This record gives sequence, C-alpha cells and structure tokens, in this order.
Amino acid sequence: MELVVPPDLVFVILAAVTLIAAIMALQAKELIYGAISLGISFIGIAGFFVFLDAPYLAMLQIAVYVGAIVVLILFTIMLVRREEADELVDRAERGEGAVGLWLAGLLAVSIAGVAALVGPSLPNTPPTANLPVSSLGPVLATEYPVPLVILALLISAALLGALVLAKLEK
Amino acid sequence: MVGFPPAPDEITALIIAILTSHTFIRVIFFPGFIHLTLVVIFLTWYERKVLARIQLRIGPLYAGGPGGMLQPMADGVKLIFKEVMVPYKADKPLFLGIPLLLVFLAAVPFAVIPFGQNWVIADLDVGLVFVFAMTSLFPSMILIFAWASNSKYPFLGGLRSLFQQVAYEIPMWVSALSVVMLAGSLNLVDITKAQSKIWFIVPAFLSFIVFFISIMAELERLPFDLPEAEPELVAGWFTESSGAIFMLIFMGLYMKLYLMSSLVTVLFLGGWWGPGFLPQPLWFIMKTLVVATFIIIPRGVYPRVRVDMLIRTGWTRLLIIALANVFLTVLLLESGILATWGL
Repeated sequence: MELVVPPDLVFVILAAVTLIAAIMALQAKELIYGAISLGISFIGIAGFFVFLDAPYLAMLQIAVYVGAIVVLILFTIMLVRREEADELVDRAERGEGAVGLWLAGLLAVSIAGVAALVGPSLPNTPPTANLPVSSLGPVLATEYPVPLVILALLISAALLGALVLAKLEK
Repeated sequence: MVGFPPAPDEITALIIAILTSHTFIRVIFFPGFIHLTLVVIFLTWYERKVLARIQLRIGPLYAGGPGGMLQPMADGVKLIFKEVMVPYKADKPLFLGIPLLLVFLAAVPFAVIPFGQNWVIADLDVGLVFVFAMTSLFPSMILIFAWASNSKYPFLGGLRSLFQQVAYEIPMWVSALSVVMLAGSLNLVDITKAQSKIWFIVPAFLSFIVFFISIMAELERLPFDLPEAEPELVAGWFTESSGAIFMLIFMGLYMKLYLMSSLVTVLFLGGWWGPGFLPQPLWFIMKTLVVATFIIIPRGVYPRVRVDMLIRTGWTRLLIIALANVFLTVLLLESGILATWGL
C-alpha cells in the first residue's frame, strides 16, 4: 500500500515554488523578505535535485546556498543603513525592469533554440538512479581531474583575494 | 487494492495497516515525536538539577515526582496560559512563525539518527550531510527572528549568534570529515556499523575534541554563550519572546542540544553498540545523555569568553587542528595500523 504521486505533479509544484519565490525575492518591498524568498527558491532547487536522484547535491545546495549565501545576504542587509537600501530599491525600480525583461526573453529564446536543436537526444542519457554517494569521488578523481584542480585553484584564489581585501581595509 | 468507494471494513483495515506500519511507529513513538518530546522535557529539568548541584543548591523540588521531576510540566502550563506579547512594530508573521520552524528544524534531522540497528526512520545515504544542512539553517532563522522582534538587544544577540554559528560550522564539518574517511560512508547507519570493533573516539581523538568544542559554540552554551550574554543583552536574541513563543524556542534549543549530543554519540562513541544485556536504543540514549551532561556542566563552571577570543579560537586554532587531523587520518589509514579493527 504505497502512495504514488505522479512525477509531473511534483515537478509542477517544485517549479511553481521556485519561480514564485524567485519573483518574490526581486519584488519584495522589505529587503529581508526578499532574502527569505531567495532561500525558499534555493530550497525549491534542492527539491529538483532530490527529484533527479541527486540527494547529495540537494543537501549541499541547502547547506551552501541557504545556509551560507542567504546568511551572507542577510548580513549585508543588516549592515547597510536603511536609507541607502531604500535608495537602491528605488533605483532598481526606475528603469532596469525593461532590461530584465529583455534578458529574460533572450534567455527563453536561447533555451528554446537549444531545446529545438538537441531536444530529442536529451532523454536518452543513461539513468543514474540509486548510485551510492561514494561513487562520486572516484569519478571526480579519475574522469574529471583537471576541472577539479581548476576549481581548487579558483577557490584558493578567492580565499587569497579575500585576505588581501581584508588587509587593504587597514 | 482498495476499491472506490471503499467498503467500511476496508477502511478499518487500511487504518490498522497504517497504524501498525514500521514507519508510523518510528515517526510517532520512537525515535519520533513522543520520545523527542519526553527527552526535551526531561532535559530541561535535568539541566536545572545539574546546575543546582554544581552551585550547592537543590533545584526544582516541590512540583511532584522524584526530585521535582514534574517541574517542566508546571512550567509548560504556566507558559501556555501566559499572554504572547508581540512587540510594537514587530514583524508579526515572522515573530510567530520562526519559533515553530526552529522546533521543526531541530526535530527533522532525527529521521536519520540511528537509535538501533532497526530503529532509524530514514536510512538515508547522505544522512550526515542532511543533519549538517538542517543545522546550517539555524543561524539565519535566529537572525530573522531577532530582526522581527524590532528591538535592540535581540538584534545584537542575533548578529552575534550568526557570526558565532557560521564560524564554528566549518571546524565542525571538517572534524566530522575524518570520521567519514574512517568509515568510508556518509550514511550514519554505516558509520555506526564501522565502529563495531573500535569507537572512532580512539583513532580520531583530536577530531572529537574539535567537534565537541564546535558544538558547544553551535549550541551557544557557556563558555560560548555570547548571543545570550545576560549582563549585556538581557537574554540575547529571544529577549522579546514570551509565553508559548518562549516555550517553542526553548523546545527548539533543547532539541538541538539532544540532536548534537546524539551526533557525537553516532560519530565518535559507537552509536548503539554496547554489551548485549541492554537493548541497543537504551545504550544509545544513555551515551547521548552522558554527552549532554558534559555539555551542560560547563555552564555552572566556566566564565564567558570575549568575542575576539571566540572568533580567534574558531578560525585560527580549531580549524587548523581539524585540517591537520584530516591528514593524520589519511596517514593512519594508509599505514595500515587500523587494519586490525577492520578499517
């Protein structure tokens, strides 16, 4: 006796939550509500990863994006003075909306184009369900060593940059 | 299969099947809701009693039961019937909603904590990361609640809580890494099974120390209770909470204390393993309560550290010890010393 939810329904609900939260994040009058909506949107994306049988990625998505990036944004909101923040919101509302619309349209068109070009071949990717997490490490170390090293270099560069910036403040 | 519309006896059979299913029993009774609530109630009384004994007092006594054990019930009744005061110009939905979320976030990770070989709700492949992901949501919740209170002291406490918890999350994760390397798995059941011959506190002793100090800071326990420093910030980030809201926050905090203690038990103290004359869950709970005692005792013993000491310890000492221990674990594993214990 098992409750079976149609996968399409899960996808639609997740997509709705993610998109509505993302729109709320941009439209919220109070900045902190924007940050909270962004967090909810990230959780929706984590839901997509669970849906795609990638629980490890989903957990890291929550830990890194909701647990750290949103915290960073909250910190920034708390440390910016109220008037400055309102000014920023005003400036954003004045004319950049049209640009955003253009960019969104461009993205939609390009995604549609790519889908039209390579669409039929996408569902033929091999199923990766129920792979243990421990199979992730060997794949990273044997098949993708160069991207791994480049990522590590990038992160150390970011770390050094943060250190330099912190020293410059003095 | 159940037809539509279902016959009355089919409905009864379905309800009985649900009520007696493994998942239902585990979620509702043990290790789910009822067990968690009872342990949280017990821990509030236990902490007051331990602290009283340290300070040569008696502690709760008159509420009934052995040693005033029914005191939390009396407190609960009092708090529920008190008025919930929402501060002037506070953000009402957040102020009333976040405490519920705190309890939820502290309770959900228990789904992956193995209380016994068969006593785990969800045998998740990424259990440890799940627990860390859920606990990493606490600081932002706390800051949002502090902001929603619309008051100076909660706000300052919330900011302190945020940087403290974010800073100590990193040594906590890195020190857990050596345990993951020893067990070769992120699954908490597998991690416990790998400790059948030797508890990980022996090969990963440095990690244990770092992890323990980090969870003390994560739980805002003395000597790291800067976010609720009474002489400076009244009661820190929950200064403005009252009545049932205060009760919810306390439940969340004590549940997090129990969660972190059980995490120490799973990662370092062998989880459910113990001599066979007691059932596995009992061993687990006993070990967890011993860990909780060691988290509670410093509250009656040590003074509070300064902010700069806290941050310096976290970033320059604990993190480096934890990182060094990762390399030490690699050496231990490669040298084959641990092979006698099947690692």
